[in-house]
Amino acid sequence: MKSTLTKYIILILTIVLSACTPDSESGLSGQLLFQDQPLAAAQVEIYLKADKDRSVQPFVVATTDAEGRYNISLPEGLYFVIGKKRESTNDNRTRMLMAESPANPHQVAEGMTQVATFNLREMGREGLPMADASTGVSGQITHKGEPVARAFVYIYTETETGLIGPSYGEAVQTDQDGRFTINLPAGQYSLVARKRADGGRSGVLSPGDLNAQYPANPVEVRSGERLHLGDFHLTGVDAEVYARRQAEGVFTKTDTMLHGQVIDADGQPVSKVYVFAYLDSRMVGKPVYMSVPTAADGEFELYLSSGGTYYVGARSAFGGPLEPGEWVGTFDAQPDHSITVVRGAKDDLGQITVREFW
Amino acid sequence: MRLFLCIILAMFWSIPAAALVVDKDTLWTGEQSFSEDVRVLPGVTLTIAPGSVVRFTDARLEIAGQLVANNVEFSGENWDGLILKGSDAATQLSDCIIKGAATGILVQGGAPILERLTLSGNKVGIALRGKAAGRVANCRFIANRKVGLFLKDDSTTAVVDCYFAENSRYGAYLYHARPQAFQGNTFVNNATGLMIAYHGTDPEVNDNRFEKNDIAIQVDRAARPVLRNNLLRDNQTGFHIYRRSDPLLTGNRIEGNVVGLLVAYSSYPEIEGNDFVANQTALKLEFQSSAWEALRGAAARAGETSSRSAFGGQGKRSVSEDDRRARRLDGTVNAKGNWWGDVGTAELVNIGTAGNPSFIHDGRDQATFVDAGEDFPLDKVVHVPWSDVPFTESKP
Repeated sequence: MKSTLTKYIILILTIVLSACTPDSESGLSGQLLFQDQPLAAAQVEIYLKADKDRSVQPFVVATTDAEGRYNISLPEGLYFVIGKKRESTNDNRTRMLMAESPANPHQVAEGMTQVATFNLREMGREGLPMADASTGVSGQITHKGEPVARAFVYIYTETETGLIGPSYGEAVQTDQDGRFTINLPAGQYSLVARKRADGGRSGVLSPGDLNAQYPANPVEVRSGERLHLGDFHLTGVDAEVYARRQAEGVFTKTDTMLHGQVIDADGQPVSKVYVFAYLDSRMVGKPVYMSVPTAADGEFELYLSSGGTYYVGARSAFGGPLEPGEWVGTFDAQPDHSITVVRGAKDDLGQITVREFW
Repeated sequence: MRLFLCIILAMFWSIPAAALVVDKDTLWTGEQSFSEDVRVLPGVTLTIAPGSVVRFTDARLEIAGQLVANNVEFSGENWDGLILKGSDAATQLSDCIIKGAATGILVQGGAPILERLTLSGNKVGIALRGKAAGRVANCRFIANRKVGLFLKDDSTTAVVDCYFAENSRYGAYLYHARPQAFQGNTFVNNATGLMIAYHGTDPEVNDNRFEKNDIAIQVDRAARPVLRNNLLRDNQTGFHIYRRSDPLLTGNRIEGNVVGLLVAYSSYPEIEGNDFVANQTALKLEFQSSAWEALRGAAARAGETSSRSAFGGQGKRSVSEDDRRARRLDGTVNAKGNWWGDVGTAELVNIGTAGNPSFIHDGRDQATFVDAGEDFPLDKVVHVPWSDVPFTESKP
């Protein structure tokens, strides 16, 4: 009897353990084409959000092989696939190939999910489909009556994002006289121009930077028409307005709050670290809430607008990939870094330990 | 004009200032003390007179215009440092001391000229990012708490004739940066003199001197620099070639180190035309195996090729495994055509081409190493043919 029982236990354990074996890798696989030919060394970007809200870094980036194929391991979830390739043509022209998977989004469950093969298209200089060279907009960027050289002009086809974040196409930079010309296909567009003091193309604007939306947005561009927009005046980012918006933004105090202390491996408080709360357990993309940077004592307060389950991490920078020298860590009371919060509660997370990434 | 400037500077004389926006050309002189941020707007020049002392408490000096400072001391309590935002060559700092800041000078784009500065006791002495250009020359990076000089974000700033000593982690760190020149610099007593890390970091590092560092030069995580004509002397480890890095080492003099060249974790440098002189061990392989790389290399790196969450502990860069795959996996590390010193050369002549040199530690000395319970053969160094004559001259 004892021997039979042992055999049953072994059999059950064998079944259970074999079910736990991670032999069924999940993810997406497929092939990219250009003009119906396999496209090698193209970039496959996987996003968690739809295109109109894709203001974050891709979740995963992979490269196609010599046959244009890719095979990307992913946890279960819903994903958006984009193919891209920047290359030089025989006449030394740089061109951008790009397309979204027509079948977006793709659900990944168990095993590898096949994405239907799709062709990339050549984009125009502004990242839009190839435009007629005789169609587009032109103008001059000015500030206090003076032309602004090296300012960036951004084209948006949608306004839901508030004309912030990545524009639909690549931004165009003004020349020494502040002038710009953008070839576009016929359509309706909104324009924004910005000149950051550090010369950057992207990033949060701060006092000293120049910014404006074109006052007659949206503009209608007809086929064969070169629309002259005239002067496009920029204004400086006001320090007081900037400070007020910072205070009103994600740092707004509410009655639901997480607090605690950020420390290093030696138990010493770490200053200038942000604490982030995500709704997504993968903790990618934009956090839904963030704290102001910790002070010298490492203490933080993270205000939330509602209760729920949040995934909490801490980092000395926000946005973009980790870089050497950054502090990073997670709330580790739960293995998935989560905390469930009741609206109106003020929960103590205790200490979050961060380490330096080199 | 001078009268106007004097009036302006008098307004700021030794007064603990509130938040300040400098919106017209301004001259500071004497002692200045600020407890809130100072911002210099675009198109505006802030000039700080020689001999001035500028202190910040819980604050920073942010320059979106131009800064001209010669022989000025910047210091403070819990202060961020100087931030140069898109400054062109009209921004010039020379003979200044910057100490005790989070980052002594943060250069965000632009092309400022930084000469004969002393950066000491900062967390980071100078950080250059955002495709910064310009020049850092004859500067001294002393006892900074993390990094003396940090180049990032495709910056091309020339770094010449600088001195890096006693920096706690790295004298200089190159991360996705390719300086126009990295030359004539001296690194002494740093934990690591020069770190060159991550795929896509492929600078040329020529004619520098590294002495008495724990590690003189570390090449890490698939970086592929060219390291030429450098002197590495009396370090614990001269070159540390680590984690799938394939640099070119040529014309270097590697002398008096405990380990002259350490190659580890699937790295396949090209080592040719160098002089190895009086090192305790000239060349050592550690956890280095073509068999391991073929079997486990790609899998071990799989987590690094995807842009997972920052909280997963990985940086993200658009790098594929194909970018990092070793091109040649034949169980050898190529070190043909080097000079192994008078003593080493005499030994080679004595043992012949099939012999096992005492100054090289490889698969002939240690057949295997263990990873995850499995034995893997340690690679072998190909040192034949060797050079009978040195490529470099002995230096004082």
